Amino acid sequence: MALWFYRGLRRGIATTRYPETIDPWADQLPSPPAFHSAQLTSELADRLVQGCVANALWREDHELVIDAGRCTGCGRCVQLGDGAVVPSDQFLLATGDRAALIKRVPIRRDEGQRDAHR
Amino acid sequence: MPTDEQPHDRELTDQLRRRALSLFGRSLHIRTVDSGSCAVCESEIRLLAAPHYDLHRLGFFFTPTPRHADLLMVTGPAVRAADNLLRKAYEATPDPKAVIAVGACALGGVYDEDELVHGSVDRVVPVDVVVPGCPPSPLALLQGLLVAVGRLEERVTAVSLDLDRDAAK
Repeated sequence: MALWFYRGLRRGIATTRYPETIDPWADQLPSPPAFHSAQLTSELADRLVQGCVANALWREDHELVIDAGRCTGCGRCVQLGDGAVVPSDQFLLATGDRAALIKRVPIRRDEGQRDAHR
Repeated sequence: MPTDEQPHDRELTDQLRRRALSLFGRSLHIRTVDSGSCAVCESEIRLLAAPHYDLHRLGFFFTPTPRHADLLMVTGPAVRAADNLLRKAYEATPDPKAVIAVGACALGGVYDEDELVHGSVDRVVPVDVVVPGCPPSPLALLQGLLVAVGRLEERVTAVSLDLDRDAAK
């Protein structure tokens, strides 16, 4: 007798709520990047935008915008990021609100830029 | 005034649609539609029926025709050559119905809009739930199905992708 069938009989239920637990290997799945905003300089942000092949990254003033819906999890930004960009390990991103997938990360302003804004 | 009522009507329609979907209860039939994908999303969708994921235990079933389907899973960047089949599949699906856009291509990533592709599925048919990923794993697809029928809350709104801001909280 198949084990799942036996367990189903024993518990008296035919179905289980899923996902109750996430598989332990799930952190190896491709995921959108996460950013250390304290290390995210203007130059690095530009480099990341140019390096993104999925058009998932763009700049809006002093923010780096990432569209997790467009992101393919290819990892190019992680390679370009000098430690400021790491995989987020977030892959359960399904939503009914498309706008919820667009995230904003502030870009660090260096001293020269701060003075220029005063 | 019509301009004021339109967003309200849309909201009401969405609420009714969500309510109708929740009435599907424990059984729902899925039709997959390929709008020009590279077939990797299909490969992941196929894995949903494998014993490890076993979507049948959740009451989801694949069906070969949109006329028997409650939900369309659309993959690919909506190539213009597939306009007809995508619209026909949508119209052939009886109401109430839901559409899940699967994969980064279907959500506007990878392909820009040009003379060959629309670039995202929502430019051809209305989309209710999106499942990002290239390809989305079967776990993510299952989450998308459960979100579509209101059996699971979405969690992406709480994700910030700014590690330093999260650490400061």
